[in-house]
Order: sequence, then structure tokens, then C-alpha cells
Amino acid sequence: MSEYVVEASGITKYYGDYIAVDGVSIAVERGSIYGVLGPNGAGKTTTLRMLLGIIDPDAGERRLLGSSRPTSVRARVGYLPEERGLYPGMKTTEAIAFMGALRGLDWNEGRRRGGAMMEELGLARVTGEKIRKLSKGMAQMVQLIGSIVHSPELIVLDEPFSGLDPVNQERLEALVRRERDRGATVLFSTHVMAHAERLCDRLAVIARSERRFEGTVDDARALLPMQVRYTPRDGADAAAVAALLPSGAARVHDQWHFAIDADGVEPLLMRLTGSGLGVAGLAIARPGLHDAFVHIVRQTDASYDGSADEPGEEPAGELAA
Amino acid sequence: MNAFLRTMMVIARRDFLSIVATPTFLLFLLAPLFMLAMGLVGGVGAAGLAESNRAGGRIVALADNDMIAGLREADARLREGTGSFAAPTLELRPVDTMPDDAAVRAIFAEPGSDTLAVMAGPLASPKIWERGAAGQSGRYLTLLADSALREAANPAATPRVTADYRLLAAAPASNAGRQTLGFGAVFVLFFLTLLLAGQTVSSLAEEKGNKVIEILAAAAPLEAVFLGKLVGYLGVALLFISFWIGLAAIAGVVAAALAGGAAPAGGAAAVIATTVPATGWAFFLSVGFVYFVVAFLLLGAIFLGVGSQAATVREIQMLSLPITILQVGMFGLASAASSTPGSPVAKFAEAFPLSSPFAMAARAATDPDKWVHLAALGWQLMWVALVIAAAARLFRSGVLSGRSSWAFWRKARRPR
Repeated sequence: MSEYVVEASGITKYYGDYIAVDGVSIAVERGSIYGVLGPNGAGKTTTLRMLLGIIDPDAGERRLLGSSRPTSVRARVGYLPEERGLYPGMKTTEAIAFMGALRGLDWNEGRRRGGAMMEELGLARVTGEKIRKLSKGMAQMVQLIGSIVHSPELIVLDEPFSGLDPVNQERLEALVRRERDRGATVLFSTHVMAHAERLCDRLAVIARSERRFEGTVDDARALLPMQVRYTPRDGADAAAVAALLPSGAARVHDQWHFAIDADGVEPLLMRLTGSGLGVAGLAIARPGLHDAFVHIVRQTDASYDGSADEPGEEPAGELAA
Repeated sequence: MNAFLRTMMVIARRDFLSIVATPTFLLFLLAPLFMLAMGLVGGVGAAGLAESNRAGGRIVALADNDMIAGLREADARLREGTGSFAAPTLELRPVDTMPDDAAVRAIFAEPGSDTLAVMAGPLASPKIWERGAAGQSGRYLTLLADSALREAANPAATPRVTADYRLLAAAPASNAGRQTLGFGAVFVLFFLTLLLAGQTVSSLAEEKGNKVIEILAAAAPLEAVFLGKLVGYLGVALLFISFWIGLAAIAGVVAAALAGGAAPAGGAAAVIATTVPATGWAFFLSVGFVYFVVAFLLLGAIFLGVGSQAATVREIQMLSLPITILQVGMFGLASAASSTPGSPVAKFAEAFPLSSPFAMAARAATDPDKWVHLAALGWQLMWVALVIAAAARLFRSGVLSGRSSWAFWRKARRPR
């Protein structure tokens, strides 16, 4: 029987007349990596804050680590907020130890673990430096270490990859997997699909304040048909090719892109070879999470352009982005 | 140690070290050099209060009923004749028998104006008890008796009055002196809280500015965050006070060595040397320290709560004026209480949470009841907890929930 570390049922949050989160429900199994995806302003941060008990929902219920009072299990949770924040005058290991101490970890143990984790993540050369001397990415890694230095059961990361260079993004992905392997549950939000695609066991897509999808990465991809990249033989007449392909096929240079219809690819191949147009190249690919995400979001917002950066941010005041 | 106290101490430690380990703290530490002038003004005010209280003391004449009118007339004549010399107010009490020492002591111990001298016995050879050896009040009473006798009989045939002066052994403490001590306690507490508690108004600005507040809010109860910050700032305040007390002690030792051990005389030093607080020095100083701590926490909690709603540095700067006015207001209320112990104003000041620590510190100087301070401290600490809880609640439901600052105020003003 699976055990849920995070359970939310219909949680809702209003900011004045604006509804930031509208009846979102999610359930995160122990030991899994769960992604909360959505364009900017979708309500991801507000959802995470409600789950953690930083703010209370106006409606709905939530349970964290089995408790209906998330604040009562603070010490078993690690949290990296979207707004990165550290005391600039603190030294790196002190900052990590401070964050650990807030969750009940002994200061000295926090310093020791912090130093070891910094070394592990390639930050050994800035051990003992003041935060103000670090680059933004380095400071972010220090804060991430501070969030998990007390070995929490649940790790909640709000847009953890934002602001990191590719090397650090890779390190962070490895760290997330390692924490999962240790037995921790990881819940993170992102609008960058590549990370979610590689990491998530399950995910939820939030758009326009509501949950639009919940399932595995494969479930999301399965929302779209397989994609075909077809290249006719040289000299093939474009009009003749278009007439044989499914409606909606698009020509991109010498290739045609289209989705496989319900009959599959075999009847199409027979038509193409029978007509003499031939097949110079044919690739069948599963749609990526990015395509699935855009598809899901566009179901509720036709104007969404897939950049994951909507103009309308959620009005989350001083502390939110 | 439970989780609340532990996280509170983590935050307090961080705040304390982050303030103390900066060059600006040195500047802050030396700032009182400028404020010393203010302290001198307060000291002069306190000395003035003591002097005016002494001038308002009384002398008591106990005499046969048939001599009362004569003494009253003599007093009027003498006052008219002495011009600018202001003798203490004369109180005439008819008696049938000569009072014993205990009865006279009871008169000296009566509350209200200080009794400076008491005359009793036949006017030709009265006994006069005096509080101080160098007082003129006893001589005035002799003059009064002499004048009354000569008016009643043939002046030429009346022998000079020969008074038997007695210095009251172990005189009850001066009420005026105790009130001066009370005022001194109010002033010191006010001065220190004015100097130190106001800082808390901007104590959350750092966390809001560098976005650490969300980490704190996720990791610890906001009440622990607020209390931790207060305790951290209190630590800074106590370090500051210890530094200056230490410096003053060294200066005192050096000054005493230079003066060859001669004690300073007159003014406030004389009041301290001759007056014992009603609760005793040890209790008075201890409870005064505790009242400073509570006053700091109480006012600091209010300032912290108000400051946490401020969105910009400008707003925080704007808050400094109302904060100062509030503190001066509490000082005024507590000062009034210290000069009129037991009055309705004093009782109000002792009960009103924000002035209570000041007024109760003053009460410790004039009222021997010690248990009342336990109740007062409980009352004040309850208000500290209430203010912190309210401030955390407002912060959570307003600022932390993404609503704009002062959301509760705007909500309250919104027409329904």
C-alpha cells in the first residue's frame, strides 16, 4: 500500500478578488519525485506555500507527512523558496548551519555536513566565504544545501533550476536523485520541462490557477499522438505529397511533420510507396513533455505560446516573484 | 528545550551576532556620549523635584487646645515678617497629653508630605524632634513658640523659650526621597528603552529585503521568529548597558582614587545616600532591571509588529516619530504616577500595559509591598505574548500571504 507524504484536496487561495489557486488536489507518494509544472503565475508557488503551512488555504484540506497541521512537522521538511534569500554577511557554512539549526540540527553538525556537501557539489573553494562574495548560482547552491542539510523526509524545491548554469543544473539533478535514493520525497516546481521529464515519477500541471493534469510523464506524453518526420524522394511533387498526408501536416524544409492518426503508420507507408513518391527518410518519435505541457496549457489558454512566461504574474505581493 | 524555544534562540543568536560583529555597533555603543546631555537634564530635573518636594514638607506643632489659635497667629506674623524665607507648612494638632517617642515617630512616618520637625510639650520649654541635624525647621518652631508666648503674656516678663532638641534616631525614609528614586527609575527605564527598543522597528527589514523571511516562516513559528528577534536585540541592549555600567564603575573608582576617598556631597548623590527605597535597595534594583527587560520586550514587540508591516525604508523612517511620541507619552504618564503615589493617575499608569513597567518600577521605591510586582510582571508578560501573537498573525495574514502591507488597515476601512 502506498503512503502519501503530501495530500491536498481542493485547496484554494484568494488574493482579494483574484483566485490564485482554485481547488488543486495532489498526492505525493513517499520516496518519489513529484513535479508541479505550470507557466509563471499559474499558482505553483502559492500551492507549495499552502502545502507547507506558510499560508493557509481559504478552502480545501492538506496533509503533510500525515499531519493536518503542516507547521507541526517543520523539522522533517526542507524547503527552497523561489525567492532565494540568505544573510549576505554570513559565511557559507554558518548560513548552512543556521538553516539546519532552524530545523533542529546541531550547529556544529550543520557546519560539518555543510562543508562536506559543499565539497561534494564542487563548492569547496568558497567554503568559509561570505555569502555576498558568491555568484548568484553559488549562493543558490549554498541555500539548497541549507535546505537539506538536516536530512529531511520531504524536500520541497520551488523553481530550483532557475538561475543555475548547465553544470550546476546537472549537479542539482544528481542531488535530487541521490536524496530520493536516500529515501526522501522530493516535490519541486518548474516551468522547464527537460528537468521534469528526466526527474519526475509523477507530475501535476497547473495553469490558470487550476490543476489541468496529474499523472506520470508517460501519461502526459500519451495525451498527444506519435509524431512523424517524413522525407520524400528527390523531385517529389509537394502538392502530391500533401494530398496523401493527414490534414495538418506541415512542411519544414525538405521534411513533412505530422501526427499519426488512429490507423497507424502502415497504411500511410503503403500509400506513399504505391504512389511512387517513395520514402527517403522516416522517423517516428514520441512527443516530448514540452509538447504535452503546451498542449495541456493551450486547452485552457489558447494564447499560450509555449514560452512558459506569461505576462500576468500572480499578485503575490512583496514576498513572491 | 522545546522546538519553539530552540528556534527562537537560533534566531536570537543570529541577530545578536550580526549586530554586535559590525563596525557600526561601535558607533552605536558610543552614541550615548551625545545623549549624556539629556541624562544631565533629567538628573537636574530629578534633583529639582527632590528640592521642591522638600520645600513642600511640613512641621507639626502639638499643643493644648487653647494655644492653637495663638500659634496660628504667630505663624502668620512670622511668615509675614520673614519675607522670602519659606518655612515648611505648619500643621497644628491639639493634644491633651505629651506624646511619647513612638507617637512622634508615627507622625514622621505618615504618608504624604515629609514631616521635618515635630514640637510638643509646654511652649516655654518644648521638646522638638527633627529629621535632620542641620535643619532650620526646629529653630522655626522655637521661634513660633516664643512669639506665641510673648503675644499671650507680657513680652518683657516672658523668659526666652528653651527648647529641648532631639534628633530622630533612625528616621523613617523620606517620602520625597523615595519619590525622587521612583522618578529616577522611570527616567532611567525611559531613557534606556528610548535609546534601545526603537531599533526593533526595522529588525524585520533585513529579512524582508534579502528574502530570508520565507525561509524563517517555513522553518519556525512566526511567534518564535518575532520573539527571537526581540531577545537578540535585548541581548544587544544588555551588552550596551553592561558596557556603560562597567565604564561608569571604572570612572567612579578612578575619580574616588583621585579625590582621596572623599565622598561626593549634595544633589542626587545625597538623595541616594540618605534614602532607602521602600522595598530595599536589592529588591528595587533587581525589580527595576526586570522591568527594563519587560518594558523592552513590550515596547519592542509593538515596534517590531508595526515595523513588520512597513514595505519600504521610508515607511520605517516615518514610523520613528510616532514611536518616539508613544514612548514620551508613557514616560509622562509614569512620571505623573511617580510624583503622586497611590493616586488614580498612578493606579492607571500601573495598570496600563505600556506604562506599567515604568510606573511599577517607581512604585517599588515608595511602596513596600513586594508581591504586587509579581502580579504586575505576569500582567506585563501576558501583554508581551499577546502583542507578539497579534503581530505574527497580522504578518502571516497580510505580508506573508502576499497581500500588501497594512492590509488589515485597508480591510478595516473598506466599506461593507
